[in-house]
Amino acid sequence: MLNGKKTSRRTVLKATLGGAALAAAPGLIKYANAASNFKIGLFIPLSGPAALFGPSAKNCGELAIDEVNKSGGVLGRQAKLYITDAGVPPAEAAKSAVRLMLRDKVDLIVGNHDGAVRQAIVGAVKGKIPYVYSPVYEGGECSPNVFMLGETPQQQLMPTIDHFAKTKGVKSYYLIGNDYVWPRVTNKLAKKYIAAAGGNVVGEEYIPFGPANKFESAVTRIKSAKPDLVVITLVGGDNVNFNRTFAEFGLHKNISRVASLLEENTLMGIGAESSGNLYSSMAYFANIESAENKAFVSSYKAKFGAKAPVLNTLAESNYAGIIFGAALTNKAGTTNAAKLAATAEGLTVSTPTGPVTMRNRHTDKNMYLAVCNGTQFKIAKVFNKVPSGQTCT
Amino acid sequence: MDPIAVTIALNIIYEITTLFVIVLGLAIVFGLLKVMNLAHGEFIMVGAYAAYFCQDQGWPYIMAIPFALFIAAILGYLIEFTLIRHLYRRPFDTLLVTWGLSFLLREVIELVYGKGFQSLSNPIPGSIDVLGEPYPSYRALVMVIAILSALVLWVWYRRSLTGARVKAMVENPELARAVGIRVDSLARHTFVVGTCFGALAGVMLAPLTRVEPFMGLDYILTSFFVLVVGGVGTILGLSSGAGVIGGVQSVVSNLFGETSGYFGVLLIAILFLWLKPNGLISRS
Repeated sequence: MLNGKKTSRRTVLKATLGGAALAAAPGLIKYANAASNFKIGLFIPLSGPAALFGPSAKNCGELAIDEVNKSGGVLGRQAKLYITDAGVPPAEAAKSAVRLMLRDKVDLIVGNHDGAVRQAIVGAVKGKIPYVYSPVYEGGECSPNVFMLGETPQQQLMPTIDHFAKTKGVKSYYLIGNDYVWPRVTNKLAKKYIAAAGGNVVGEEYIPFGPANKFESAVTRIKSAKPDLVVITLVGGDNVNFNRTFAEFGLHKNISRVASLLEENTLMGIGAESSGNLYSSMAYFANIESAENKAFVSSYKAKFGAKAPVLNTLAESNYAGIIFGAALTNKAGTTNAAKLAATAEGLTVSTPTGPVTMRNRHTDKNMYLAVCNGTQFKIAKVFNKVPSGQTCT
Repeated sequence: MDPIAVTIALNIIYEITTLFVIVLGLAIVFGLLKVMNLAHGEFIMVGAYAAYFCQDQGWPYIMAIPFALFIAAILGYLIEFTLIRHLYRRPFDTLLVTWGLSFLLREVIELVYGKGFQSLSNPIPGSIDVLGEPYPSYRALVMVIAILSALVLWVWYRRSLTGARVKAMVENPELARAVGIRVDSLARHTFVVGTCFGALAGVMLAPLTRVEPFMGLDYILTSFFVLVVGGVGTILGLSSGAGVIGGVQSVVSNLFGETSGYFGVLLIAILFLWLKPNGLISRS
């Protein structure tokens, strides 16, 4: 040896034993995990067009796990998160779901992603493990062992349209959305509520989902149709571009707008100059003045810092989804599908949006109509315990 | 005149002129150097973020122009020197390299500013009267600048000595080198001019659109459609390509809705690739 020390037999023995223990450790840890953890597969968009929501959704998932574990875990086991990318083609998401079930043996799946990915996951899981689908969606999902937490069009628009008709005397409506299932189903219901409120629809149009859209011609059509209210079901970048163009042509001064998927990030893109007379109808805003939400926001900031990705309804839904899944499983005392289904009906769980009560595998919940004030939301009206309008048995 | 007709007419002109500005940088790089710059949209994005930076600092918006040009020129030189100059006359390889580059530029911006939307305030809010109809002032200015820059560039390219040298380089690089034209440096400058025009388009469009790391992808597909239809290598081809694509998009959208407008553009692009692969106006 260079340094002159002699290697004794004892040192060699120690090293060998230590090495053997290290080599065996991963297997032991894995075995221990398999026995003790309650595993939750969390589908969130880490890539693709919705990837913007990935960081905040991931944070909310981790925060929920912390809180579940602080209050004793699930079925007496510590909960553990398996974060999976949902910003992929549906077929790939289905493969991930199968891998989570067979290889990782997850006990519960929570997902925040589009409807096509949901259908793929439902098809792959086939009700074998419970699946909580948390974001805003068009309704109509009734597959066994699937639980929906998100706001439905009934919740977003029935009270809102009634409110606009009664308090602001809105009579004529213009509907604009991206061309896929959520906007079309939402607007079908919107037309029903508009007719019930005595209003009329002066225009309805759908913009392709995906390509780079421009909104000059749509805004010109709205200008000539002169509605009192524009009901917007555009998402993400299209929502930003539409609202900026709308305001640039000065239409925001006389025409109000209400959007069904307008959260904190999108409003930041629309900007203060373009957000006059713009409303959003959703189940969650980061500045809801409730004790539940204040506790949620402060623990989010404590864990991830003041500069953490901004909270929004989609990320919050991940938190609520995990809290709900854990509460449901704990109350049922098992992950047996029949027991879960029976327990879910009427189960009330406290979430940052307020208490949510499951009926027909969707939730009755508080809804908020917020008015944009610069790049901040201001809650203009709270609708308490709005039913989902869904009829799953 | 019918007020709606005036607005529609202005929108069509706006669509065509902004398309011209968006494609200009790509047309220079692709048309003259045969470099298929898939990162062109990202240079537009960099220009938009440069404008955002300037506005965030509280500088007047006009400052965004020199600042964006400065950033784009540095980036352009670096990229040409390290990557592109090894790949002239290998168009397919430039496609792959610039595709990778587009990822890199997006990631860098994301690292600095995050994935979220940024919004710029309109430097010239309000509207002006055009034939008795109010039209957003900033849009009107963008249209005027676009038309002026097209004219200036056209005259310069036809009349200037550098324009002649560029033409010589494009026609026959060996011969150009033999008569004393420094082809390497000329090509480098041409590339940098292309990236600078991309960034300039970003500065012009940033207050009008969404600003986020992926915004460049919005522009790249339509840009190549314009080149397919117009043909590469001439200002006239570029203008006519922008006219056809922007015009079809705008007119069909106004008549039959956005989906039909998009469909119309795809149809035109396919027909041109099939029946007139060199475009309307081809250099050779």
